[in-house]
Amino acid sequence: MANAERVQEFVEAFGSLKGEVGKIIVGYEEVVTDVLVGLFAGGHVLLEGVPGLGKTLLIKTLAAGLELSFSRIQFTPDLMPADIIGTNIIQEDPEGRRHFQFQKGPIFGHILLADEVNRATPKTQSALLEGMQEGSATVSGISHPLPSPFFVLATQNPIEMEGTYPLPEAQLDRFLFKLRVTYPALEELNEIIDRTTRARETEVRRVMTGPEVLRFRELVREVPIAAHVRDLASLIVMATHGQWEHAPDVTRRFVRYGSSPRGAQALVLGGKVRALAQGRYNVSVEDLKAVARAALRHRIILNFEGEAEGVDVDSLIGDVLEQAEAMSRRGKEVFLR
Amino acid sequence: MADAGVLERLVAQVGWQIRRRRAEFYGLRGLFYGAILGLVPLLLKHAVGPAAPLIALGVALLGAAAGALRGLTLPIPAADAARLADRTFDLQDSVATALEWGSRPDRSPLVDLLVADVTARLQDLDGRGVVRRRWPRELRLLPFPAVLMVLLALAPSIPFPAGRLPVFSSSDDAETPEERGAKVLTENRPKAAKREPLQHAEIMERNLSARGGATGGSQPGDLAALFKDTALAAQRPDFQSFLKKGDERLRMLEQVDRLPDLKRDFTQSQYKMIFQRRKELFGGLRPDQISPQKLRELLEEMQRMGRKGGDWGGDIGEGMEGLESGQTDRAMEAMERALSKMRAMEERGRGGRGLRGGREEGRRGGRGADRGGSGSDMDADFGEGEGLLPGKGRNPNPKGDPTERLRGNPFDAGVEGEARSGRKEGYDTNLLGKGTNVPSRLQYMGVFGQYRKMMEEAMAREQVPRDYQSQVKEYFESLEERR
Repeated sequence: MANAERVQEFVEAFGSLKGEVGKIIVGYEEVVTDVLVGLFAGGHVLLEGVPGLGKTLLIKTLAAGLELSFSRIQFTPDLMPADIIGTNIIQEDPEGRRHFQFQKGPIFGHILLADEVNRATPKTQSALLEGMQEGSATVSGISHPLPSPFFVLATQNPIEMEGTYPLPEAQLDRFLFKLRVTYPALEELNEIIDRTTRARETEVRRVMTGPEVLRFRELVREVPIAAHVRDLASLIVMATHGQWEHAPDVTRRFVRYGSSPRGAQALVLGGKVRALAQGRYNVSVEDLKAVARAALRHRIILNFEGEAEGVDVDSLIGDVLEQAEAMSRRGKEVFLR
Repeated sequence: MADAGVLERLVAQVGWQIRRRRAEFYGLRGLFYGAILGLVPLLLKHAVGPAAPLIALGVALLGAAAGALRGLTLPIPAADAARLADRTFDLQDSVATALEWGSRPDRSPLVDLLVADVTARLQDLDGRGVVRRRWPRELRLLPFPAVLMVLLALAPSIPFPAGRLPVFSSSDDAETPEERGAKVLTENRPKAAKREPLQHAEIMERNLSARGGATGGSQPGDLAALFKDTALAAQRPDFQSFLKKGDERLRMLEQVDRLPDLKRDFTQSQYKMIFQRRKELFGGLRPDQISPQKLRELLEEMQRMGRKGGDWGGDIGEGMEGLESGQTDRAMEAMERALSKMRAMEERGRGGRGLRGGREEGRRGGRGADRGGSGSDMDADFGEGEGLLPGKGRNPNPKGDPTERLRGNPFDAGVEGEARSGRKEGYDTNLLGKGTNVPSRLQYMGVFGQYRKMMEEAMAREQVPRDYQSQVKEYFESLEERR
């Protein structure tokens, strides 16, 4: 297939999948786009929002639009790692011999919805770690590969913090994006009421298969990025570290830990998917800026002063972006800035 | 691969525009500085002659030409020119990416698509207005030298002042740096005697005129009249005695061993110094955490002090042995023994100074024997069992002796010297009644910021759950409100 056709196919597939999700989910265009960007970038996405905003529905709809197996785990405090990964059970063959057989857990699905992931204990949460990073699950010393594509979509509730276990930084870092699901606008709320209270239910078409998703993931990685755009991604990540000598004041003052290199990877990969989804063949500075908040907000840990002052990480990232862009132009002659 | 010629042409076109704009920018800047330089020949028109205006104009134009040349020759990276084109035409970094990746061997198939796409988009664009014109700051100031040049060109030449400036100093009076420095040296002082005749002559002259007014009638404008009938008026400046005093001071400074050690605090006793250093060294550490090197240094210092009459040499030796064999706790015990001996010697010495007041006297009288210290005359007055009970003997404390503090520091329990009479400054830390305008409130406000900072540092350092962090924060906020 010619390259132009491959790109065109991706643009259409991206658009149609978004359209199918849009049949059920009202509004949240940016959130849906970012979820799809996360899917095609090969990462995992964490959705944060108060109850009732349709986070779970969004993920279920997305899964319905893809010809992929879908598992849902409702995280609770008494959930055990074996409930996610699976366990060895004794089986008896026709000859009466008994042996252990691995019973796969819900993690062995293409799309995994980890609902209210912060309600389980850290031990159970960490059962997801290996699967998210390595694409495999190890039980009794035997590593079982997870199906590909493997896409974790987790939700968490920012309120009702009693009895929850906030995700450790190491696990948060494994999510490509953290998306904030906010309240819908008035028109969108009206539309939600209309759609959900009528008799006829909307059906979602399956528009993409697993191999197609994998093919698009490969295509995404071919998108070229200019040196100055890549440098900007590195500058943005470095500027989130208060210890860096050129760090902006806002970072020095409010940030305890900045983004890991995974943050830079997320910026560039997200930028590539976004560019390709818009029919462009290169990553631009605007692409980086568009995905910066989703890619970095869970990777920046505020210090006490930042939390006490109620600093919004998104606005902090906005400042960091401005500073990083100014830094990339600094030192250039007036006509080249 | 698509034709990248269009791309390169656009970059070259943008590059040429940048050069042109730079030439304008730096040319105007050069014109300004050239015009300022051009004022010089116009100011010197008298010497330069009628060609001065032409030379001034030439200098200004030369400055402009040099600036323009600089603008034209400054390097322009192709990637920067491409970025400029991207920004101007809103091409979202595609030109820069295509230019960079077009020639790379590891380019992906998408790069060919990118180059073709950019080329197609550029063909429809007019690349003439990519670089905006910018004016240098100096352009606003350019009219001033220009107008000045015209005025100076039209004005008659300014003649040089005739003759020479008066010479205010003769070569005889000028002193060389060597001479100035030599004045300080005492061995060169005899040279001052060579100038004596001159000084005498001046003094004599003054005696004849001005000083004469001190005894005779004063003249109008005679300043010596102010000192009439005063001792100062009759005094002659005695430079010899002044120099002599200076020499004595210099000699004294040369005797380093007799100079007072200003760095040393005379109120600090040897024991106190050692005790402080021991406290700093130990600082709540276990024996295995204490630096043997520092402990050794402390023991060595105590040993040096012991050589001047102390009896703790044996303990120090034992401590050194302990350190050699790696037994830090043994060394510490030996050091403690030596320290107590040092303290005992210190107290014996203090007894001779006749300090009054406090518990030292009572303790010396009542318990001096227990510690095995040698009693002084004062000790003899306070005999064993006498004067220790309230209201008996010569015990100055009507309520009796207070009990010993647990692990009491002997220094804060003793009172040295006498309290001065009169009003003393002090701060009360107890809040009584209304909490405003009380000195103790100032203390509270002073430390609040410190505690808050300590709290923030502790929060940043320790792994405190977020809920607790907010509780602590709220607590401090409530304190802030009370302030």
